[in-house]
Amino acid sequence: MKSILGKNLGNYRTSYRADMALLNSRNKKIGMVILLLVIFLLPMFASNYFIGLMTLCIISSIGAIGLNILTGFTGQISIGVGAFLGVGGYASAILTTSMGYSFWIALPLAGIITAIIGGLFGIPSLRLKGLYLAIATLAAQFVILFIIRRWVSLTNGTSGMVLQRPTIGDFALSSNTSYYYLSAIAFLLSAFYAINLVRSRTGRAFFAVRDRDMAAQIMGINLFKYKVMAFAISSFFIGIAGSLLAHYTMIVSPEFYEINVSIQYLAMILIGGLGSVFGSILGAFFITLLPVVLNIIVGSLSGILTDLSHILSAFEEFVFGAVIILFLIFEPGGLAHMWSNTVNYFKKWPFSY
Amino acid sequence: MVKILQIEGISLQFGGVKALNDVSFHIEEGEIFSLIGPNGAGKTSMLNCISGLYHPSQGSIKYKDEEITKMKAYSRTNLGIARAFQNIALFEHMSVLDNLMLGRHTLMKSGPFSGGFYFGKAEKEEVDNREHVEQVIEFLDLQEIRHTPVERLAYGQQKRVEVGRALALSPELILLDEPMAGMNKVEKERMAQLILKMKDNGITVVLIEHDLGVVMRLSDHIAVLDFGKQIGFGTPNEVQENPEVIKAYIGENVS
Ligand SMILES: Nc1ncnc2c1ncn2[C@@H]1O[C@H](COP(=O)(O)OP(=O)(O)OP(=O)(O)O)[C@@H](O)[C@H]1O
Ligand SMILES: [Mg+2]
Repeated sequence: MKSILGKNLGNYRTSYRADMALLNSRNKKIGMVILLLVIFLLPMFASNYFIGLMTLCIISSIGAIGLNILTGFTGQISIGVGAFLGVGGYASAILTTSMGYSFWIALPLAGIITAIIGGLFGIPSLRLKGLYLAIATLAAQFVILFIIRRWVSLTNGTSGMVLQRPTIGDFALSSNTSYYYLSAIAFLLSAFYAINLVRSRTGRAFFAVRDRDMAAQIMGINLFKYKVMAFAISSFFIGIAGSLLAHYTMIVSPEFYEINVSIQYLAMILIGGLGSVFGSILGAFFITLLPVVLNIIVGSLSGILTDLSHILSAFEEFVFGAVIILFLIFEPGGLAHMWSNTVNYFKKWPFSY
Repeated sequence: MVKILQIEGISLQFGGVKALNDVSFHIEEGEIFSLIGPNGAGKTSMLNCISGLYHPSQGSIKYKDEEITKMKAYSRTNLGIARAFQNIALFEHMSVLDNLMLGRHTLMKSGPFSGGFYFGKAEKEEVDNREHVEQVIEFLDLQEIRHTPVERLAYGQQKRVEVGRALALSPELILLDEPMAGMNKVEKERMAQLILKMKDNGITVVLIEHDLGVVMRLSDHIAVLDFGKQIGFGTPNEVQENPEVIKAYIGENVS
């Protein structure tokens, strides 16, 4: 290795390390501690129903982080998330229910199997870009669901399969709270991994492939390798989310993995913020909770306006669509961008204008 | 002298346009080699053939006696060939630092596992390479802007980052496509000094530049292209006395 100036900059080493640390400011450290406390103490204060909702939110977050690695980091749109969740769910169901493996083996295997299948469906990315690639992933969505429906001996076809909650020794994670903790740990690991990935050699290569593939090649980046790798890593997380979800609801069935699920996940990362791990999480919470909140609104309104109840039932889908469009127009940076704007505002306060 | 790059009979066509027509020259290890010629002569196309972005219809390119004509672009980078583009091709949304760190991609190893957990080796590798990148930052005077996203920089600064990114690779051969374009006299002189320093450090430089004064002063050898044809090749003195070159540059002051 040729050094340009032949200078020894060794004494700066500690400062680079500090500069590059994940939690490189006091505020970030405090924020992290508060976040961890909230996550782990939440079950003491919240209702069983609420803990169930939070479990769905954090499982969706894992999936959304996965999709964002592919679409937000590497710039490859996928409309196949629904089916890949299905691959994770069915892999877990087959491994545990049909083959008798423990959940603790099935969960990582579900991730790995989904990663392999995702990687295979990522091979067309060598030749296809943008909308064309999106159509190829749409094909994955249909092919995978078709196989799930038709391979009855393996998947039980349209009747679906039943799963069990995992156990630790004699203790079954059958309560909402215990499953919440399991999901929370998986969630924290996923978020930690993804945040680190972004600032690592691989993450930088993903961004380079997304922003300028010609210059990326000149940096020595093998486009094909990194595109397929993005598909595989992304699918791993989606597979983990699929497995966690399946053991939570304790049932898998083809209709849970239709294209509308793919669209929901795309909405999560669009609304949350493309290319942002934090945004994936915000978006997952937003999209998971939106129908719940709308349901409450519709429920209270239709008590008053009984004649309008049939119109109000369409209200949810309308709002869902409208929210996505409004975000695309007014805040393309998503919730993550709104958040950082707000934080910056208060940092400068009272001198902000 | 050892030949680091040998170009033999390269032709490149775009539809009816012959961007390069049977071009042959060679570059010696450790020299500053300039490629000159009027606009549209095929200079950038030649660099694209060397980088592997364009594939010539005829001819061969040898790097250190290894045939690389058909080699993929990213593999050539692994051999130590770096490139700064004429039309800046930085990653705009990323900071100067991240752009330079991308320049070190081939010299780093951490993959999606170690990178994702960022412990031990992966962290050490980041720190080591950051140290090297900081040398490039100092070399090109980019200290003030290291954390700034490239899209917010002025043109001249971007041009320097573009050169820096190529330099971060610790290349053996660096291809500089008009690194001084759009710069004022002072900035140009600074870049000229940097190029001489690269040579002092043993890097072979291929330079494309329209300012013939600079070219004549810096270069050890020059190839002259015109409409895709090579009309001259030799030392600055030989090239200046070449009647074909004088004809192509008529009206311009070659000395
Ligand atoms: N990708 C391409 N597609 C079609 N034509 C091209 C392409 N790249 C270059 N050309 C043509 O090849 C010829 C040489 O172009 P090139 O960019 O190599 O010139 P140059 O010597 O670098 O010029 P300049 O000094 O203006 O940068 C031009 O006629 C150009 O239009
Ligand atoms: Mg050019």
